[in-house]
Order: sequence, then C-alpha cells, then structure tokens
Amino acid sequence: MNRLPLRATLTVFGVALLALALAACGSSEDAPAGAKKLSFKITDAGCLPHDASAPAGPITFEAENDGSSGVTELEVLDGETILGEKENLTDGLSGDFSLTLEEGEYTIRCNGGDQEDGTLKVTGKLASKSSPEVEEAIANYREYLEENTEELVTTTKPFVAAVVAGNIAEAKSLYPGARIPYERIEPVAESFGDLDPRIDARENDVPASEFGGFHRIEKALWEENTAKGMAPVAEQLLADVEELQGKVKNVKLQAVQIANGANELLGEVSASKITGEEERYSHIDLVDFKANVEGSQVAFEAVEPLLSKSDPKLAKEIEADFEAVYAALKPYERGDGFVNYEDLTKADTRKLAQVIDTLAEKLSQVPAQIVSGEQG
Amino acid sequence: MSPITRRRLLTSAGIGAAGIGLGATGYLVGQDSAEANGDGTGTVAFYGEHQAGIDTPAQDRLHFAAFDLLSEDPAELRELMQEWSKAAAEMTAGEMIGDVNYEELAPPDDTGETVGLLPSSLTVTFGFGPGLFAKRGLGLASKRPAALKPLPPLPSDELDGLESDGDICVQACSDDPQVAFHAVRNLARIGRGIVAMRWSQLGFGRTATTSRSQDTPRNLMGMKDGTANIRAEDTEAMDRFVWLGPGDGPAWINGGSYMVTRRIRMLLEIWDRSSLEDQEQTIGRHKYSGAPLGGSDEFDPLDLDAKKDGQPLIPANAHVRLASAKVNGERILRRGYSFTDGVDESLGELEAGLFFICFQRDPFKQFVPIQERLGTMDALNEYIKHVGSAVFAVPPGARPGGYVGEGLLA
Repeated sequence: MNRLPLRATLTVFGVALLALALAACGSSEDAPAGAKKLSFKITDAGCLPHDASAPAGPITFEAENDGSSGVTELEVLDGETILGEKENLTDGLSGDFSLTLEEGEYTIRCNGGDQEDGTLKVTGKLASKSSPEVEEAIANYREYLEENTEELVTTTKPFVAAVVAGNIAEAKSLYPGARIPYERIEPVAESFGDLDPRIDARENDVPASEFGGFHRIEKALWEENTAKGMAPVAEQLLADVEELQGKVKNVKLQAVQIANGANELLGEVSASKITGEEERYSHIDLVDFKANVEGSQVAFEAVEPLLSKSDPKLAKEIEADFEAVYAALKPYERGDGFVNYEDLTKADTRKLAQVIDTLAEKLSQVPAQIVSGEQG
Repeated sequence: MSPITRRRLLTSAGIGAAGIGLGATGYLVGQDSAEANGDGTGTVAFYGEHQAGIDTPAQDRLHFAAFDLLSEDPAELRELMQEWSKAAAEMTAGEMIGDVNYEELAPPDDTGETVGLLPSSLTVTFGFGPGLFAKRGLGLASKRPAALKPLPPLPSDELDGLESDGDICVQACSDDPQVAFHAVRNLARIGRGIVAMRWSQLGFGRTATTSRSQDTPRNLMGMKDGTANIRAEDTEAMDRFVWLGPGDGPAWINGGSYMVTRRIRMLLEIWDRSSLEDQEQTIGRHKYSGAPLGGSDEFDPLDLDAKKDGQPLIPANAHVRLASAKVNGERILRRGYSFTDGVDESLGELEAGLFFICFQRDPFKQFVPIQERLGTMDALNEYIKHVGSAVFAVPPGARPGGYVGEGLLA
C-alpha cells in the first residue's frame, strides 16, 4: 500500500496518459496541428453549446465570454478531475486550450451557469504514433502484468481457503507466497481507485471499519493468533484480486508509465519495506522487498531497449545496480524465504537502504530519457 | 526558459552589488576580502589558494557531513571530487546546480529549496579522512601525510562509532541554515552509490570568532567562546598554526590544513544548576563580560600568575588556563557551532552541546596535546563529554576548472 494520497498515485498511472500526451506535444496553450476545434460561448445559461462531440485525438477548446459577469471559466473534466481549463474570461474576453483525449464521455463545465455541466462525447481510437520498440516494450510488460495477476489469484485461493477453514498454520505458511505477485505489480493495482486499499491497506491507512485485505488477516494470524471472523475478509480479498485480474486486461499502458512504475516500486521498498512497516505482524518484509525489486527490474527491462538508444551507459549502470541489490539481499535468504525483519540490525537495514537509493537515483532518470529517445 | 540563479534574483533586487563583485573576482582578490555578510548578500569564492570555510569569517550556520567511500576505484573518486567541486562552486555562487532542472519528466538536478534565497556566504570545505588512504584499490597509501592518522584514545572520550570518523567530509557553512542544508543534501545525492553518509551534524549558531570584524559569540553555557582564537587577519599566526607550507607533508597538501571535529555533548541541566561563581571558576572568565577572572574587559590579558589570598586567581584546573597557548605553546583555529538534536532518549534531557571544529598544521602537535591536558584536568569535564570525533586532511583550494583534491587524485 502506497502512502501517497490516492490523487497522487492516480496521476502516475491513470491520468498520466493524458498528461504525457500533452507533454509530448508541448504546452496545452499551443494548439497542435490538425486539432479538432470546438468553440463555446460562456453565458449566464452555462456553456453554449452545452454538449459536444469530437473524434479521439487532439482537441482545441475555444471559449468566449458572451456578456456574462457571473460565469468566467470553462473546464473539461474526466469525472471530477480537471483536465484543462480557461479561467478569468470576463465579458468580451476569449481564450483557448488543447487536450488530447481518448474515447469516452467527459464533462464540459461553466461554473455558475444555470446549467453548469454538459457532455463531451469522444469517439474512435487515438491514432498510435508509437514505434514498434515502444509497442514491444508495452506488450512485454503487459504480459508480465497479466501473468502476475493470474498468479495472484492462484496463490490467494489456497490462502483464503486455509483462513476460511481456520487452519492458522497453513494460512501463515501460504501468506508470503500470496503476497509476492501483488508486490511485483503494485503500482498498476494502485491505479484502480480503492482496489489497492481494499487488498493491501495497513491498519490506520483506512478507517477502522474498512480495514480488510491481506494485512487485516495478517494481524489476525500473527498478532491475535486466530482466524476467527476472518472468513468474510478472506472471501472479499479473493473477490478483489479477481477483480484486479479482470481490470488489468483493459489497462492502458505507456512506456513512460512503465518506467515510472519501476521507480515507484523502489519507492515502496524505501518507504515501507526497509522500515519494516509493511508486514508489521508477520515481519516478512524482505519477501515483499525482493518482489518489489523483481517487479521494478522487469518494468525496467521492458523499456531498456528504448533507453539503450539514448543513454546506453545509464542502462548498463542500472543493470549492475539491480545485481548489487540482489547481492545485498542474498545473505538474508533462508530457504524459499528470508530472515524475519526483526532479526535485521540497523547496520543491515542501512546497507540495504543504500543499495536501493543508489539504484533508484539512476532509475529516476529513465522516464525522461525514454521520451527523448522516442523523439530522437 | 532562462535558469533562475540566486545571484540573478539578488541583482534584480538591486542589492548586494559588492558581494557580487567579490564573487566574480574572488580568485584574484583572495577569500580574505570576501565579506561574510550576515544579511545573506555575501558571496565567498569557491576557488582560491586555500579552500574557503577556514579563514572565512565564521558564518552563523553549519551543516557538516562525513561520508564512507563505497568504491575503491580511483577514477570514481576523482569523478566524484570533480562533480562535487563543480556543484559547490555553483552553489556558493548562488546558482542552481546541474543542467536538468526544467525537464517535465525528469527529477530536477537541483533539489530546489534555495531558489529565491541569497548566496548567504555559503562555503563548502572538503576533507579526506585517514580511512581513504587505507583503501588498497585507491593506491593512495604512499601519499598519506604522516600527520593524518586516527586520533589516539583521549581522556574523557565516550565516543559513538557511528558519530565518528569518515573517509570524506563536507563542511557547509552559511548565514542561512537552509542554504547549508541544501549544499550537503545535494552533494550527498550526487555521490549516491560512491559514498554513503555516515553521520551529519547541524549547527545552529557559531561559537567562534575567526575575524576581527566579528563579535565573540556565546556558547550554550552562556559563556563567550573563542576570545583568544586566531583571527584570519593575523596572517602570521595563520601561517604558523593553520596553513601547511612546503615541507609540511606531501606536496598535494601544501596550502591545506588538518581539521579535527569533536561532537561535545554538554550536560546543560547540571551546568544550569551550578552557581555563577562555580561557572566562572570552571571556565576562568567572568560570564557576562567575558573578561579573565579579576579583569573587567573581554580582551584583558590572561594573567595566569595572578594570585588572590595565596591562591591562583585563575584556578589551576580552569578551562582557559589549560587551553591557553601560554601553557601549551600551541594554538588552533577554532570554528565550532552549537547544536541540538532533540531529546536524549535515555535521559529525557536536551541533547545539545558544541560541535567543535578546529584547523591546524598538525593535529598531533596541536589538538592532541591540548586535549590530553584538558581531558585529564579541566574543571569543565564535569559538564561535558566527547561523543564524536574525526580527523581530516583538508586539501588546498582548487583553481577555476580544477577540483579539490586534484593534487592527490589526478
């Protein structure tokens, strides 16, 4: 569970699609070539016309205040997220902004008008400008994503069955393995609104009445030493991971998002695994640690061919740094798992934190490099 | 988009012209003439004969960090010192570091917390610890100066290993605490993977005077500290006690110095319960005037022979007597800072004291004998303990286009 507020995580994996498209074609103030123009008048009645439609792709929104003193802005929203707006258009003023929109229904809003909201219908597919390398990177990562959500369902099923049957020992032994596929792909799960909190929230992350998922069961098994009352929680968990498996099939991915995801996974390691906060009852934090790193590495490797074009030296250094992380983890491996987090000394965690920081500092340069590689 | 520089902001505000002039010509006129103005407009040149931050009038704030070197590759160490020197020069000039600060998808090179702040007389001073010369892969063993070795155990040491030593140190001093913090933070980030921060120390107020232009500050015991310190204007004393000259060691350190740092925890609760007389007898000076006992002015000469009722006026175990050059024959340039790091977990008392920094030509002939004497006999020992200790060789300054440590690493 990421500690960032939902809005921030959404930005990275959901809304980022649009933001990135914009970044690629310059600031939203510049009308991209070939953009569809939609003109609106801002009036006391609201935006005129209230409703509009356009094909998927770049759209320029022109707004002109036609004699309204109370209504001075026009916004385009996806749900309640503002994608673009023109503000402070007083009587007689006009302005425009551009967005690249994919298929869907959006809201056109003139705040304070008699009818504030209208609907913008966008139809058709965005023309893909991606190179074959980019397509391949996305396809490779998508495969990994689907494999892991499928494995998550597979590993969660027997865990849930053991919890429902009240078999504490069995449930405890299955818990770490069930966590691994989730930890590898967590940033994607975080893009689906409240699905991540439902599956992976820690106590205090959510209101007590909503505390469920893996960590609620972890607390029962390790701290309360019981599975009593956990059957409904376990069944909901299975339903949630199945929902996740379904949702990732339709998730849209961009190369930059995948690279950002690689970073986020290391952020997860730094923020909650090295500190022992994630698995505070079972102390299997190093299991999650390794899974996060594996997920990060696969995400990196998916985009690595793009990076190798623009900065082969950086790509090589990152490869070596991943190996350094595994080497640093090695002394703590025990059989299929790892030592208990509580057995680590401060010097141990310090060393682990250092190798992660070193890798993450370099990995954080990748998204920008990929974009420059795509353009170049 | 044109990059924001703090110096440009300062220019557009129409102030600090003198500071800029000094910064621009600092290499020619030398650091001595660069004023460390308390109002933030001061600029101290990074490049010069000596590293800045030694004879620079002591700024108000400190952020000090010691690093462990993780690499034994000489090329990596060289590259680190090149990058650090470049960044330090940019930061002291009040500029953002690096090239990538406006790229939407990239983390900015500069962390940004000093944008809009003045250069604030920032100095960044680098030092090399004995451990650096012990790393075989670096092949520096034969270049280790004889005077650079771990300090011997000293009386009243209660050292914590994680607050001591280090292969490389960075002393960032500034009149703005955020400017000093920014320097250490950004250098640590640049060094990620090559060095790891071992310990660091914030100092919130200077406890030393290194220039005749400065008043003597008080330490946390409420005593004036550094009255008898060497002043940078006293170039004869600087040459005799601080700067290394030809023949003082390997050529690479010529123009440099040695730095000793001691994290001295003050037992303030105990100090605060002692009478004014006890406090003054402990130090050997009057608390408010700073005058030696029996005197009336801070700068009255220290009369160690004066007697009252057959007893020495300045007690035999008073701090000023034992620390005096008249007793030791040796002086050091002190440049310390008061610190606090919150609450001492085990005692519930203020975790505070003095982060002592001194510069000298030979720690084993200057700091060590002075501390051996103080650590054994000083009345002050009742109220302090030394919990951290480190020693570093401070290379000479870099020429524009060069880097600190070039003589050693090139």
